[in-house]
Amino acid sequence: MGNAVTLVKDSVPATRGARRAATARTGRPGRRRENLAGYLFMSPWIAGFLLLTAGPMIASLYFAFTDYNLFTSPKWVGLDNFTKMFDDPRWQKSVEVTAKYVVIGTPLKLLLALGVALLLAQSRRGQAFYRAAFYAPSLIGASVSVGFVWRSLFSDGAVVDRTQTFLGFHVGGWVGNADWVMYSLVALTVWQFGAPMVIFLAGLKQVPRELYEAAEMDGAGPFRRFWNITLPMISPVLFFNVLLETIHSFQIFGSAYVVSNTACGPADATLVYTCYLYQQGFKNAQMGFASAMAWMLLLAVALVTAVLFWSQKKWVHYEEDAR
Amino acid sequence: MRVAEMLRGGPTVGTRNLDRRTILKAAGASAATLGLAATTGCGGGSGSGNGTVTIRYSWWGAEERAKKINQSIALFEQKYPKIKVKTDFQTYDSFWEKFQTQAAGGNPPDVFQNAVTFLRKYDKRGILLDLKPQVEAGNLSLDHFRAGVTKVGEVDGKQLGIPVGSNTMSLVIDKKLFRKAGVEPRPGWTWDEYFKALKTIRDKTRVPGDTGYFTIMYLYDLYLRQNGKAFFTDDGLGFDQADLTEWWTDGLGRVRAGVVTDPKTVQQDKPKSSLSAGHGASEFTWDNFTVRYSAEGDSEYGLAPIPTTDGKHTGQYLASLMLSASARTSHPKEVAQFIDFMVHDPRVGTIMGYDRGILTSNEQFAAYKPADAVNKEIAQYEEDTAKAGVLGAITPHPSGADTIEAAFMRIGGDLGQGKSKVSDAVKQFFTEAEAAFQA
Repeated sequence: MGNAVTLVKDSVPATRGARRAATARTGRPGRRRENLAGYLFMSPWIAGFLLLTAGPMIASLYFAFTDYNLFTSPKWVGLDNFTKMFDDPRWQKSVEVTAKYVVIGTPLKLLLALGVALLLAQSRRGQAFYRAAFYAPSLIGASVSVGFVWRSLFSDGAVVDRTQTFLGFHVGGWVGNADWVMYSLVALTVWQFGAPMVIFLAGLKQVPRELYEAAEMDGAGPFRRFWNITLPMISPVLFFNVLLETIHSFQIFGSAYVVSNTACGPADATLVYTCYLYQQGFKNAQMGFASAMAWMLLLAVALVTAVLFWSQKKWVHYEEDAR
Repeated sequence: MRVAEMLRGGPTVGTRNLDRRTILKAAGASAATLGLAATTGCGGGSGSGNGTVTIRYSWWGAEERAKKINQSIALFEQKYPKIKVKTDFQTYDSFWEKFQTQAAGGNPPDVFQNAVTFLRKYDKRGILLDLKPQVEAGNLSLDHFRAGVTKVGEVDGKQLGIPVGSNTMSLVIDKKLFRKAGVEPRPGWTWDEYFKALKTIRDKTRVPGDTGYFTIMYLYDLYLRQNGKAFFTDDGLGFDQADLTEWWTDGLGRVRAGVVTDPKTVQQDKPKSSLSAGHGASEFTWDNFTVRYSAEGDSEYGLAPIPTTDGKHTGQYLASLMLSASARTSHPKEVAQFIDFMVHDPRVGTIMGYDRGILTSNEQFAAYKPADAVNKEIAQYEEDTAKAGVLGAITPHPSGADTIEAAFMRIGGDLGQGKSKVSDAVKQFFTEAEAAFQA
């Protein structure tokens, strides 16, 4: 998430600035030297990109169309891996589990992020402390140790179980319960609402005060002001958060893997897509199938992203449109 | 730091400079970072100018085993100052995941712990070194082993593994709970008697009698052997869907009746066993596991005979943990010397005890006299089993057996959660087994 924030902040001035500079420099002697130096400075990144990202990606695209068990050389099988997926009940289950996680987890997380951002946007004492406190889980939430903590929090006789029993509905530990374990993962991601919250907060700070003042003069209540001013004004930020969080959610792996003690169970209840991919690739040595799964995920995420982009025309308000 | 700026309230990001292009870029970047599975392997050389050779030795196990192995290696390096041994260890599952990746990358450890389940799989892939030539060259001795034990490491005339400890599938029990319930297992007891015992234990101690027998491949193998079949043939499964349907329907019934630990609890107890966690009174596993459970749990653990179908045959056989070598090692001689030392040196036997099973060579077996109750009982159990004449022969499992063992446990456990029908679970298992044999 830190990266994304940086991107939002920097990319516009940086790219525009670079383009301007490039135009200005055209035809100037020594430009080639300068470029060379530039590429030289970039070379560690370029080498890394080619060796660690582009190369493996191309290889995996090839493997996706092969039967490859890591040991014997890959055998071309055409679209077999892709057709096999749709007949595989565990693949279907992994799609179902992932969809459930994305559809439940993402909106809850964003709602909480927006709610807390609205509260924190008002000036009060100790504001910086509260912001830092609410942001903290985002920094540590992705770690394996938090996964272990989660596992023990949601076990038989642990805090969650006892609280629930005290409140009168006994479920037992969520971790071992196929019907409940998914909600412990949802709780873990919702708890890490800090990153979208910070982005919302920044968006809220940008809404011109005079709009609120004018609306108040006209007698608009808090809800009207939120619905007709705040929401449209932060809609680009909202769109950005929806997009990022959705893409992130599709890639869930660590929390499911750790909370289920590497089994992604029980009863495949936390068999998220990447976890099944991992099992097929690294446990069962079906690297061809696993590669095909990876590309399928990329396609699915691209599709969802495309739909979101298409939908934004209807609900995202850009100030530049008004200009 | 940028986040910190924002936290301080500096409005640096917002609708004004957030236009469509920015979002596109950010989205593109996010999509690009989407992880695609890829593996890389790196070859590692060893050996240096002064004639010192370094070999890598990996095994699965826990801290306890690591201490003992490191002590043994210190002795080895004393005797062979020109050979250095580098070690690492993981838990069973992680070990094989890592090993598979390393082996695929052409960089497996020179020596590693192995088991009968993996022999054919890695032989088929050309990973395992045939140790016969090293035996002939005099670097490794196959003499002085307890009767027939080295057979376990043979595949198609090749010696692919040297046994370090032999073990037998057994019933590990929580002695305190059995005593409290007044249940006493006896050799040759039948399944009916065993299941009745589970119920008595549940009724008297409120602890389920067993932790989930029907998901354990090695136990089902014994049951099948008692009935003239086996889990594996040379290249496939030795039972049909009707057999498994019966076995799992029965198991599910016993989970529902509460005499077997709720799979929900089993899931939560991991990585501990529900037996050592106090949520079950017995568990079918290898006899050397009492060493681990005694360290892990609060109760007193012992060994009981496997229930039988006909009052006589248990279907048991002598399995073993072995040491294998990589076919790609550049130091086959040193590797053979190392294995030889680890299986024959009496001092190593004294250090290791029965941690990996009953010591296989006569030298080590004679050198180690178990002093504590746990190790004594393992020795007694193996002796009794051997005397009873119930031990059959074991042939190396077909390639894919490891994946099938995991699938058997997973699908059986899921079934116990009440999330699927027995018929679906059985079908799923047979489909996955088919895929595993072909992989």
